[in-house]
Amino acid sequence: MPNGGSWLDQYVNELPKKPWFKRAGAWILVPFWAWRTPVKPLPGGARPSIQPGENLQSMMNLIMPLKKENKSPIGRAKAALAIAENKDQIFAGLDNVGTVHFARFVIVNDNICMFSVYDGDFSNYIRDFIATIGSVFNAVVELVEGGDDVIPCEENVEAFIQWIHEHDLYQVPDTATDFLRDQEALNGDRAVSPVNDDLTLLPRKMVLQLRANANVSLGSGYRAYPGFSVAQVRKQLGLGW
Amino acid sequence: MMERGMVDALVAQQLVDDMISNLPKHDRGKRPVHTIGVGVDGYFTASDVAHKYCIAEHFSGQRICAKVRFSNASGGPEQHDGWSDVRGMATRFLLPSGAATDLIATTLAEFFARNVKDFFEFTKFDKHEPYQRESPWRKILDMLQLKVPRRDPYPGEKTNASAGILSYANRHRFGQLAVFEAKLIGAPRSYARAAYHAIHTFIVEGSDGVRRPVRFSWQPVAGVRNTNPDVPPNDDYLRQELDHRLRQWPARFMLMMTIGEAGDAIDAIDDPTRPWPARRVRVVMGTLTLTNVPKDQAAAGEHISFNPWRLVHGIEPSGDRILLARRDAYEVSRKMRGGIACPFNRS
Repeated sequence: MPNGGSWLDQYVNELPKKPWFKRAGAWILVPFWAWRTPVKPLPGGARPSIQPGENLQSMMNLIMPLKKENKSPIGRAKAALAIAENKDQIFAGLDNVGTVHFARFVIVNDNICMFSVYDGDFSNYIRDFIATIGSVFNAVVELVEGGDDVIPCEENVEAFIQWIHEHDLYQVPDTATDFLRDQEALNGDRAVSPVNDDLTLLPRKMVLQLRANANVSLGSGYRAYPGFSVAQVRKQLGLGW
Repeated sequence: MMERGMVDALVAQQLVDDMISNLPKHDRGKRPVHTIGVGVDGYFTASDVAHKYCIAEHFSGQRICAKVRFSNASGGPEQHDGWSDVRGMATRFLLPSGAATDLIATTLAEFFARNVKDFFEFTKFDKHEPYQRESPWRKILDMLQLKVPRRDPYPGEKTNASAGILSYANRHRFGQLAVFEAKLIGAPRSYARAAYHAIHTFIVEGSDGVRRPVRFSWQPVAGVRNTNPDVPPNDDYLRQELDHRLRQWPARFMLMMTIGEAGDAIDAIDDPTRPWPARRVRVVMGTLTLTNVPKDQAAAGEHISFNPWRLVHGIEPSGDRILLARRDAYEVSRKMRGGIACPFNRS
């Protein structure tokens, strides 16, 4: 807010917008503080909950880096083909599993991404998909880093579920301070009693967490009709099953 | 409704006194907080589905006359529309039966205290202290620590309570979300371009007899938009903007009702410091249409004594202890400023 400080003050206020200062922040300050105050990656996926509404319309956000030999237009084309060739299997799987609202495959740079919104338990969701469209997973996962260890997925069900879970993005909570609670849950809450946190450190904690979890989902998603399952929507719309 | 679960009158008086004692200036004839405001006339029309969820008279589908008072949350006689601050939206529904009911909401979606004890603790920290521009060297030090430097004071801002409130939040995790969000809240371009949340849980009864825990929010049809924080703030624009806006076209708000779930922990239902997850079912309960800013502002807003416990058949308060405390504190405040009791109140 320009309100008449000294020239030095005004210059300092503008510092965060200066390219050289941004570079210094990214190359020096962030690595320094990451070294001084190490931050572990937070686990991905939806949070477990007993609440019915929390178990509907959950998000899965898989980011799977293509293998080195596939980091090229040819490799990306292979990934696109793997999806295109299996279109019927995917639709059949969606109809049979019955708990998936949406599923999308997206190529971003040299990553193949699968984003979906599903009802119910995560492991059961993947288990059902392995049973119905395991061949699609195999076709995609064989193109990505670390994928060879878990395919064919039908024969490595638990390992495959764990692999998927590890590639699922951390979902930053809808409320900023709940992110602090996630860190405390992961690292152990070192607060003494009475608590005396330092909320001014929240920006640094967020920066360092986003260094540890470079890809994240921001919030739990914005829903036009929260609280309803695929089955309820289809029933209410008279679409049958 | 007004006889349920009394808070000691002395406690309510103490709450109001403590708030007033923390203000740099206070006019006894005015509200201790949300002092500066503007009254607006309008009407509310319930949605087609509202009555299914709540049998209260204003959800029956008839057009309901409404009086709304928008306000800046700060107490005291000084007006600073452009300063970052929570805003209030108090709505009185004037029902065809002759009764009235109020819905009081703010742009802050959560409160910073769970109960009266917490609130008294907050008032110990909520003290104005001299507020000065940080030195450039201090700002650089903050940046080197990946902290956000303290904002520069607004023109004319000599004191504020931000340091004390931050200390309170550091010591009380339940209050951190509200304090954090209040710090970032900014100033709306218009009172009609902010979302307002009633914070507390109420219990509504549907036409099927089912009782549900719910929370209400007003969503502006014009969308949410704040002023640019990088330009010097304007101290006096919100009333004129609203007047100008309504001379051209009505402004509308959708009343959204979020339904708590069976199995929600009792603390989450009754604790105003805890937001409900975004995954709870939301129902459109109706539309509020604002039509004009009356010239007689005393009648339009300043003389109206809102109270979150002014409820009618079909809506009841939850066990939220802050909601309970607000009932008596609002009444104390009304009496202290010589406000008139609600002529429509039949309870």
